Amino acid sequence: MAKQEQASVSSMNEIAVTLKNCSLSFGDVPVLNNVSLDIYNNEFVSILGPSGCGKSTLLRLMLSLLQPNAGGEVKLAKDLSIGMVFQKPVLMPWLTAIQNIVLPLTIGEKRFSKKEARDKAEGALRLVGLQDFTNHFPHQLSGGMQQRIAIARALAADPAVLLMDEPFGALDEFTREKLNFELLRLWESPDTSLSTVVMVTHSIQESVIMSNRIVMMSPRPAGVDAIIPVPLPAHREVGMEELPEYHHTVNELRKRVKHL
Amino acid sequence: MMNKIKSSMYPISFALGFIVLWELAVRLFHVPVYLLPAPSAVIEVMDGSLSSHMLVTLTEALAGFVLANILGMITAVIFVHSKSIEKGAFPLAIALKTTPLVALAPLLVVWMGTGYSSKVVASMLICFFPILVNSVKGLKAIEHEAWELFSTYKGTKAEIFWKLRLPTSLPYVFSALKISSSLAIVGAIVGEFVGANKGLGYVVLVSSYHMDTPIMFSAIIASALCGLLLFWGISWLEKKVVFWQRADDL
Ligand SMILES: Nc1ncnc2c1ncn2[C@@H]1O[C@H](COP(=O)(O)OP(=O)(O)O)[C@@H](O)[C@H]1O
Ligand SMILES: [Mg+2]
Repeated sequence: MAKQEQASVSSMNEIAVTLKNCSLSFGDVPVLNNVSLDIYNNEFVSILGPSGCGKSTLLRLMLSLLQPNAGGEVKLAKDLSIGMVFQKPVLMPWLTAIQNIVLPLTIGEKRFSKKEARDKAEGALRLVGLQDFTNHFPHQLSGGMQQRIAIARALAADPAVLLMDEPFGALDEFTREKLNFELLRLWESPDTSLSTVVMVTHSIQESVIMSNRIVMMSPRPAGVDAIIPVPLPAHREVGMEELPEYHHTVNELRKRVKHL
Repeated sequence: MMNKIKSSMYPISFALGFIVLWELAVRLFHVPVYLLPAPSAVIEVMDGSLSSHMLVTLTEALAGFVLANILGMITAVIFVHSKSIEKGAFPLAIALKTTPLVALAPLLVVWMGTGYSSKVVASMLICFFPILVNSVKGLKAIEHEAWELFSTYKGTKAEIFWKLRLPTSLPYVFSALKISSSLAIVGAIVGEFVGANKGLGYVVLVSSYHMDTPIMFSAIIASALCGLLLFWGISWLEKKVVFWQRADDL
């Protein structure tokens, strides 16, 4: 709750990531067409759009794994740290759960000592409730547990912004719903540095129950078709799917999808 | 454990049944010994001298195998890091592969004599290509997202190599090791055919000259055993090293 209140006071309108007039082509194929988008601190944003329209590409722009064509600009808030969760868990099968989480902490700029990295990884494992599987290898864990480790790996580096690319797309309904709310709790929790989540999803229901704003993308070459605020209470809980606001927003999104 | 014993029961009983049938057939139909000796006759000639020849062949093959692996992996690492070297040298590697070893072996003996080295090199030449090809394939087999993960956290080229490329390549490397473990024996024996005074290839050649079929059979069986020993050794190592890979995945 603390994070929500804090949000409403001041930092809600501080921008974390800005995309300005970003277009991007792979060779001759235009994928993004003049995308402008602001992501604010302390918000949960979902990105919805037809498959192949360029949602993953958009996240890769924010991560600086790709650069926009000339004229476009990607701006990050100063000293912003970003974490990424891919559609697949992308765990190293030769490393245990804890070693997988330690890995990004000990490469590149090596911001942490071995001991610190280990402590952080243990903390992150506890956050996702997998402290009993510290020394298990990925092939000994279910798909849902593997994705939780991937989330823990992203959280362990204390990111302010978490980018997620269809993180629950490959999971069954039960696991998916459980992880949806786990993620919301982590986002609200004062124990994490996490303030902002940008999640790509192809599920309208998931986007409505989880996010403050939903970015609708048009088909390739994708632009921002609409940005839809979700009028649900700030603190999301199971059962809010019964509220009229939920149905209203889901229906509005469905209509838009038909007109794309 | 119980399952393991059970599953090895089948091949063992089939092999025993085959040997018994063979023995019976030879005795029943009075097959002349220079055409097909009975298993009992073959076992009779297996002695210390055979095992010392076997040791020679195994040593040559193992040395060639190990050298080919080291060389093949180093070459693969160079190929993966330099496109132009790969483009320039890969056709040479293919030319080497397509040249029949049997045609090269006499040259090796001319150059290196009838001792160990010509056989070691013959076995090295035949093992090199599978190791090279599979190592290159394995080193390139990293998932794009895994590479992006390392890039996101500013992983260096060296870190990507040691912590991602190398472990990713191991299952591929091991499948090449299994292929070349039996090729290594072929290389050593071909080398011995051309010029040697010891080793299983030499025994086969001399016994064929003397029409001593039981000895010939004993040497053939011993060479098969060499290949099996290497293969089993590699498979055992593979289970320990690439523990995350199930056998049916590759
Ligand atoms: N590295 C790449 N090279 C060439 N084309 C690509 C590459 N990555 C993605 N694309 C193409 O760009 C389009 C958008 O891809 P992507 O962003 O993955 O879509 P989404 O995540 O919305 O499904 C697709 O048509 C895809 O084929
Ligand atoms: Mg995608």
